[in-house]
Amino acid sequence: MTQDVKSLSDEKLVELAQADDERAFEELVGRYETKVYSLSIKMLRNPQDAEDVLQDTFLRAYRGLKSFKGNSTFSTWIYRITANSALMKLRKKQLPTVSIEDADERDAPINIPDWAPGPVEQLLNQETREAMQDAIESLPAEFGQVFVLRDVEGLSNADVAEILDLSVAAVKSRLHRARLKVRNRLMHFFNDSRSRGPMGARP
Amino acid sequence: MMTCKEILESLSSYVDADLKKEIVVEMERHIGKCSECRAEFDTLTMTLKLYKHVDDTPVPSDCHDRLIKVLKLEKMKAKPTDASSDGTPEV
Repeated sequence: MTQDVKSLSDEKLVELAQADDERAFEELVGRYETKVYSLSIKMLRNPQDAEDVLQDTFLRAYRGLKSFKGNSTFSTWIYRITANSALMKLRKKQLPTVSIEDADERDAPINIPDWAPGPVEQLLNQETREAMQDAIESLPAEFGQVFVLRDVEGLSNADVAEILDLSVAAVKSRLHRARLKVRNRLMHFFNDSRSRGPMGARP
Repeated sequence: MMTCKEILESLSSYVDADLKKEIVVEMERHIGKCSECRAEFDTLTMTLKLYKHVDDTPVPSDCHDRLIKVLKLEKMKAKPTDASSDGTPEV
């Protein structure tokens, strides 16, 4: 078997890996390890926890590969394992879960700026990045996961629903609340950006 | 006529283009006239744009090496018997 695994589709690699082709599984690991690690970091923030999830995810994938029947894509499957593993990690840590109703700040007065969209790069500095991560962390875990998978990783509502074992309606509802809450947490950056003027230049 | 509260409740679906055309038309008319709803829309859109620009976090090389080592050990363990019931979702 001298096929170049790099040129093969995920589907074909899964098929080969199921037939014990180790290079095929290694290629799948290579293709998805960054995605898995990145998602884990976003969900857990801690590099050690993310590494645990990375290892756990690929071990589970390796052990469960033969039961993977291809009804969903490999990427959805691996995301699902990652999300489940990260979720278990979060539960073990017993992070406080706050009801979104309690945590909701929508009724609080918001100082809405008269703000027009500008270049994203203007806002995306280290401070903003940290605030963005904090904003995700401030969400109850179930909402944070939906937000990360949908708006950070760019998966579809249907894929997020499948990964988290939720209805699409539940995904949309959680996403809506999560988005508004995250936006509210970042509002002051938009205000600051406006007061600094174009390109964030201070007078 | 949609109220500001109704607009806010529909903003997420609007951003995802997940609304009926007549509702979209009404929302756009409202947002065009209402500065508060316009700001709600603009800031939400910008928030989502920011998150789309977040790069993936590369796997540190030592972390990658440990992953490969763990998988090699697993392969060695798995050779004699085939274990496949650890709660991994069947798809």
